Amino acid sequence: MNPENTPPHFILRFFKWFCHPDMHPYIEGDLLELYDERIALSGKKKADRQFIVDVLLLFRPDIIKPLEGFKRLNNYGMLKNYFKVSFRNILKYKTFSFINISGLAIAMSVCMLIMLMLADQKSYDNFHEKKDRIYRILMHPVEQSTYATSPYPTSVTLKNEYPIIEDATRLRRGFGGDAKYKETYAELQGYFTSPSFFNIFSYKLEQGDPKTALSQPNSIVISKDKAIQLFGYEDPLGKSIEYFDRGLNEFTSEGEQAKNWGSFTITGVFAEKDYKSHLEFDVLVSESSLELLYKEDKIADLTNEWTDMYRTYNYVLVNNNVDIDQINAAAQELANAVFKEDNHLKDAQFIAQPLSKIRPGPALGNAPTTGLPMFVYYILGVLAAVIMFSACLNYTNLSIARAITRAKEIGVRKVNGASRSNLIMQFLSESIITALLALVLANILLLFLKSAFLSLWVNQFLNFDLEGGYAVYFIFIGFAILIGLIAGSFPAFKLSSYKPIKALKNVNEISKDRLGLSKLGMRKALGVFQFVISLLFIVTSILLFNQFKYYMQFQYKFNPQNVVNINLQSNDFDKVKTAMSSIEGVSYISACAYLPVSGRNDNVSLNKFEGKDEDAIATVNLSTDDNFINTLEINLIAGKNLPAGAGAENFIIVNESVVKSFGYNNPHEIIGEPFRVGNDEVQVVGVIEDFPFHLLFTGRNTSPLLLRHNKDAINYASVKITATNRSEIVEQLEQKWKSIDPIHPIKYEFYEDTLSNNNQGIFDIVSIIGFLSFLAITIACLGLLGMAIYTTERRTKEVGIRKVLGANELNLTLLLSKEFLIILGIAVLISAPLSYFLNNLWLQFLVYKAPFGFTTVLTGVLVLLVLGLVTIAPQTFRISRQNPTDSLRSE
Amino acid sequence: MKSHRLGEFEEVVMLTVGILYNDAYGVSIKKEIENRLSRKVSVGALQTALKRLEDKGYLNSHDGEGTQERAGRPKRYFEITAHGKAALEYTRSTRNTLWDAIPKIALDVKFNG
Repeated sequence: MNPENTPPHFILRFFKWFCHPDMHPYIEGDLLELYDERIALSGKKKADRQFIVDVLLLFRPDIIKPLEGFKRLNNYGMLKNYFKVSFRNILKYKTFSFINISGLAIAMSVCMLIMLMLADQKSYDNFHEKKDRIYRILMHPVEQSTYATSPYPTSVTLKNEYPIIEDATRLRRGFGGDAKYKETYAELQGYFTSPSFFNIFSYKLEQGDPKTALSQPNSIVISKDKAIQLFGYEDPLGKSIEYFDRGLNEFTSEGEQAKNWGSFTITGVFAEKDYKSHLEFDVLVSESSLELLYKEDKIADLTNEWTDMYRTYNYVLVNNNVDIDQINAAAQELANAVFKEDNHLKDAQFIAQPLSKIRPGPALGNAPTTGLPMFVYYILGVLAAVIMFSACLNYTNLSIARAITRAKEIGVRKVNGASRSNLIMQFLSESIITALLALVLANILLLFLKSAFLSLWVNQFLNFDLEGGYAVYFIFIGFAILIGLIAGSFPAFKLSSYKPIKALKNVNEISKDRLGLSKLGMRKALGVFQFVISLLFIVTSILLFNQFKYYMQFQYKFNPQNVVNINLQSNDFDKVKTAMSSIEGVSYISACAYLPVSGRNDNVSLNKFEGKDEDAIATVNLSTDDNFINTLEINLIAGKNLPAGAGAENFIIVNESVVKSFGYNNPHEIIGEPFRVGNDEVQVVGVIEDFPFHLLFTGRNTSPLLLRHNKDAINYASVKITATNRSEIVEQLEQKWKSIDPIHPIKYEFYEDTLSNNNQGIFDIVSIIGFLSFLAITIACLGLLGMAIYTTERRTKEVGIRKVLGANELNLTLLLSKEFLIILGIAVLISAPLSYFLNNLWLQFLVYKAPFGFTTVLTGVLVLLVLGLVTIAPQTFRISRQNPTDSLRSE
Repeated sequence: MKSHRLGEFEEVVMLTVGILYNDAYGVSIKKEIENRLSRKVSVGALQTALKRLEDKGYLNSHDGEGTQERAGRPKRYFEITAHGKAALEYTRSTRNTLWDAIPKIALDVKFNG
């Protein structure tokens, strides 16, 4: 055989490694013979490849050598023995194994949930074939937050000026309204975009040609379900629809006045597929349609607009082997060039964001869909890691405590020739087996945890489905092994360092210095640490719950009860008002642009009519009507209500904050004063009491507020109804609505519900932290239980002798509990002030806060102490009540 | 032995070993099957089948000479044992019984519908 014509050496080695030694020479002979022939037939390269395939196909059970007993008999036997001893140990000490396994499993299930969440996020935007080369261009106007949006011309300019960019597209917001086909309506929401969209992203079209679908003006590509909704069973392609824009977008459901944008032609239908993407839309509209809309002045012309950074998502596709630094450099060069004249924006940056970094990614302004920002994962990750660490400590702690029992075993093994590394292996295999058993239990727990997490209120916005797929389960197994290694490494190294003579001669000697750990040493420190963490969690969750309760019962200084807020959905307020005021039980109907305490606040500058520009203050501007303060029962402390009728927009009502900001001592002094709102001259007619306007948890105090008539800005009708017959009245409201707007179903919510829904997010946090604290305390108590069982059992004889000598049960219980009471005591001493301090760190940012002080911390301490005592008391009682004859009779 | 059951591939291998008589070893069996039945046979599948058949006692093996193109590795020749012969005959007879049991009409399919 020609020596140059040998197959790859490592493959031969690999084959020799796994093949059954009986068969190896024959099969290798066959393989080499075939290899030789193939070289002659089709060359070395092909033969090599075929050879590798053959060897891989030989990797099957009948040919792989059996795990045990061929030549390295000793090694296999030993490994087998490790496993056997591990399992026996796990079975022998059932209580300890239970404590270890359940503790690890609880902690692991939480970690696994977070991994599932991350895996879920990672699966976004995975279907794009060119996903590694797609980048979104972010805008970072200095000092403000970073926006997912950037100026309209950004990506296309980048493509024209930098050859590293292969293609570019942009999605312009601002298409949202009703489409009409014959007599059918459908609400559509989408983006204007260029034909390059289909080159960059891998959305598939069921009908239509992706190359041309978006090239003509007034072309629309529509999603499958909207197509079915509009056209039923008719073929949508080429159909023409009438479109009325209502200014809907992904952030609001409050429409504006419907505007006819003319007719659009369906040029494509998206294939029905689950596109898991950070982008969501019903339709894409050809960018060339914008020209026409510009001409008719229906939408703002952004063609060369570099200062409007809020309305366009820019994406670029780069050439192969272009790295992010090159793109960032190009983008920065562009930013410097276009913004150098602009005083506000001259330091603004464009930042390239890889598609894979969008979900999960940083928190951005104007993001098209909500996802949990990366820092939340870090926080959750840290919390889970703390719990996991605590569970690992249990294992470490109990293993060390049991060291004395195992000293003999170790001694015998060493005398029989086991080296230290063998023993380390043995202990590690034990901990890994424990961790793998915990993994099984953790998977079961995860099922419950998953469904609980998915039913959280906040998930309706985040859309987690938590379907991990295979890869995640491999990660779980790796994770379990890692946890086994971490939990087992300290006992493994410690226990294997026993001197065999000492271990065999006198067990008590070891127990005395306990492997060089003094009495107040490591083990206690670990216990204290666990309880410090637990108390921190407990106090925080009690505080959060108090805070939640406080928000739920919050007195707003207006009366949200029995107020139904109806989203007008572009209908005329007066029409709605006329129709609905005839219903019996409706007392007031008022209009507003948006609701107080809903998270929205539109600012306007307010100044005295003669005031200097620098004296103007930013004031929240709420467009309403004359019924607003009646509907919400807001206290008017000076002057009178807004007038109705023509010219009403010349009058405003302000709140006390405005009065104070302009230096009036008495609210009556401001009545009748002329002011400027923006550029309009207005007169103050009334002053209302300050009431909380921002979301309670934002930490913003009541700011200056003005109420003013503005018919065009109205989005909501607030209907005050009687407390009785609420459901009947609502039913009538629905019927009236149908007569006004047959197309859109009514959207309403009771104001009380809106306000309490604001706090659902906090309740989710309470649930999560509360659950974590439950886990932390469970794990800590499990550890304590293990220690208590172990110590009391070892001291049975001592207790017997003491009893014979006259000690009573109470003394003995105290004696046995002392060690644990010290641990709990130290933990409380450290943790009580710490939890007070740490929680005040975030609490100080809130304006509206529940009382937090001694009582909350004390409640937490009590919970901890009660749980701790309940854990240890049964053990110590049991031993101290035992009849000394039982414990002393046999040696 | 209670049964002489053979898998389809096992049967093919046994028969091929029979065809090759004194020259049945890994590569030659593989080639013979590939030529006669024009189907691909991987070394892995073949060796697994051979090992199983040997374990069941249908095949016997003995070492042969090593050649240069085999880098001195010996060939392993296979031959059918009496037990293996019985298994083959059993398989054949069960097939025949089943074939005979099929009524003529079932195979006489006409397409004149």
